[in-house]
Amino acid sequence: MTQGLEKAAAIYADRSRRARELKAEGKKVTGYMCAYPPLEMLTALELVPFRILGDCGQPVSKADACLPSVVCPFVRSSLDLALKGEYEFLDGVVMAHSCDVVEKTAHIWNIYLKPDFFHFIDVPHSTHSAAIAQHRNLLKEFRGVLEKLAGQKMTDGMLKEAIAAHNRQRALVRQLYDLRKASPPPVSGVETLKVMLAMMSLPVDEGSRLLQDIIKEVKERQPKNSCKARLLLWGSILDSADLIEMVENLNADLVMDDVCTGSRFFWPDVEVTDDPLDGLAERYLVDLKCPRTYRQQHDDYAASLESRFGYLRGYAESWQVDGAIMQSMRYCDIHGYEVPAVRDYFGSIGLPSLYIEYGYSRSGMAQLKTRVQAFLETLDGR
Amino acid sequence: MAARKYYAGIDLGSTMTKAAIADEEGNIIVKVAGPTGAEHRRLANLVMLQAFKEAGLTLNDIGYVVATGYGRVNVPFADCQITELTCHARGVSHLFPAAGTAIDIGGQDAKGLTISSGRLVDFVMNDRCAAGTGRFLEMMATTLGIRLEEMGEISLAAREKVEISNTCTVFAQSEIVALLSQGRPLPDILAGVHDAIASRVVRMVSSLKVRPDVVLTGGVALNRAVVAAITEKLGCPVLVPEEPLFTGANGAALLAPEMARRAASKGEPVRERHLAELRLYEES
Repeated sequence: MTQGLEKAAAIYADRSRRARELKAEGKKVTGYMCAYPPLEMLTALELVPFRILGDCGQPVSKADACLPSVVCPFVRSSLDLALKGEYEFLDGVVMAHSCDVVEKTAHIWNIYLKPDFFHFIDVPHSTHSAAIAQHRNLLKEFRGVLEKLAGQKMTDGMLKEAIAAHNRQRALVRQLYDLRKASPPPVSGVETLKVMLAMMSLPVDEGSRLLQDIIKEVKERQPKNSCKARLLLWGSILDSADLIEMVENLNADLVMDDVCTGSRFFWPDVEVTDDPLDGLAERYLVDLKCPRTYRQQHDDYAASLESRFGYLRGYAESWQVDGAIMQSMRYCDIHGYEVPAVRDYFGSIGLPSLYIEYGYSRSGMAQLKTRVQAFLETLDGR
Repeated sequence: MAARKYYAGIDLGSTMTKAAIADEEGNIIVKVAGPTGAEHRRLANLVMLQAFKEAGLTLNDIGYVVATGYGRVNVPFADCQITELTCHARGVSHLFPAAGTAIDIGGQDAKGLTISSGRLVDFVMNDRCAAGTGRFLEMMATTLGIRLEEMGEISLAAREKVEISNTCTVFAQSEIVALLSQGRPLPDILAGVHDAIASRVVRMVSSLKVRPDVVLTGGVALNRAVVAAITEKLGCPVLVPEEPLFTGANGAALLAPEMARRAASKGEPVRERHLAELRLYEES
């Protein structure tokens, strides 16, 4: 029998295989980009959510005709794969206003690829009550669109059941991450990211069953003692394990992350409210901690930092990290602008940090490796 | 087995390969440099051999070999690899114990280091680009038809420094061609070139808190005009070692005893080493 981690790694290596199988069985597969489309609504109507990602190992050849080359290489690559026909199996596409590049790309996608079903959620960019109310309206509209697509009503009961299923998966993800608090961690950062990316390629319950197997497998492991540095990774999306692999090959364990293909995506539960839309609106707009959303600043800078990044202190303490790597995808404005504040916050809690810009290519890895290695050498001298 | 009382460092830079040997007391006894150049890459062991020859030693006299520089992973006779950032910090502190900031401008990269109590605590490096590195100066020397070594001296005679608005090496080259055709004197153009590289490096280093003493190393530190331009822009004295090329190799040799002690405390055996050719890729 194949073990869970091995299964997850196989899904990571061939992400769309399972989705194609499900399609052949008559299921409808819906692609989504970034962390903002509420997957619970897709799940409620048995539309299989499938996260759209890029492939940093493939040169961009078609997307340059419709997107400038100086934008997020992850988004360029995702669109490129679609233009090459690699997302042809998707029955529909849901995108959200996660950032301006994704917003533009959503409409380019719709125009060039003409999916049978396309919906764009214009998620507000702030968290005050009017924005939450507006987001709730958008989700209500999305619900209607999906009902029309599925030819079926989405009752509150169905939606609450789907919320419970996704919350169960979130709890399992947190359970897996909790195991990494041990020193040495029984599961590596590379393995964890592959599991997370596998979760985003499977129907929720199927993913949760796999996660249960993986947790059992990891609990049985007895890792050998080591004196590797324990690191926290903050930053932009990572849709391949390359960067973490480079770091972990350098005598370091990446034990915790705040990345939208990792903990950031799964961490907050959706509160099951009387009207399920209230809980969904709150979770996706307020609880999801992506720098694309403006959060009220205090007059006092230190207080601002604490209210925005306090959760990172919790991560650093609970996972006992020695240092943090801040990583921003090249041309990612929203993460790039956030770096100085995150760096200041790490500084304020006495956590050494390193900033690297990820060029989304394997060829640039040697230069990043020198920086990470030098950073580890500075930690070693402490 | 002979007593292994010496330590070696080898720094494989993009342009030059440097080797240094230190004795037990932490004195650098020999320094040797040779070009890394495309066809010489596989012959870096010759630089090490030359160092042994000058020191009257063999590989068996060496307790530990530390490799550094961008080619560090390709040295088969090295016991461990340490980044050039940590090695430069160590090498600079050895020469200037009060150093707080080091700027190293090599053939293909530039870096700023913050040093505290002789150790690297923070750093910044240039992006994947030749601007602000020795390669930039090499290209400008070629364009102007002069030797790299004379650039500094010639530009000190400048009367009116030209403004080079592009730090992109390729664009700067065409800008210089245009300035030449306007009849601008060579020293003035060179002063502009040196100013451009100095601005670029100082901008980069400013993201660190620059604390004295400031030390400039790397091949570009041999260019007096660049040193003067950086001094002016930083507004504080800039110290330059007599042989600025060797701080990385020196640092590697000086860090070797500590690395050897650590390896011994972990029970790692001293392995047999051979001065084999280094390989940058697997050859079939």
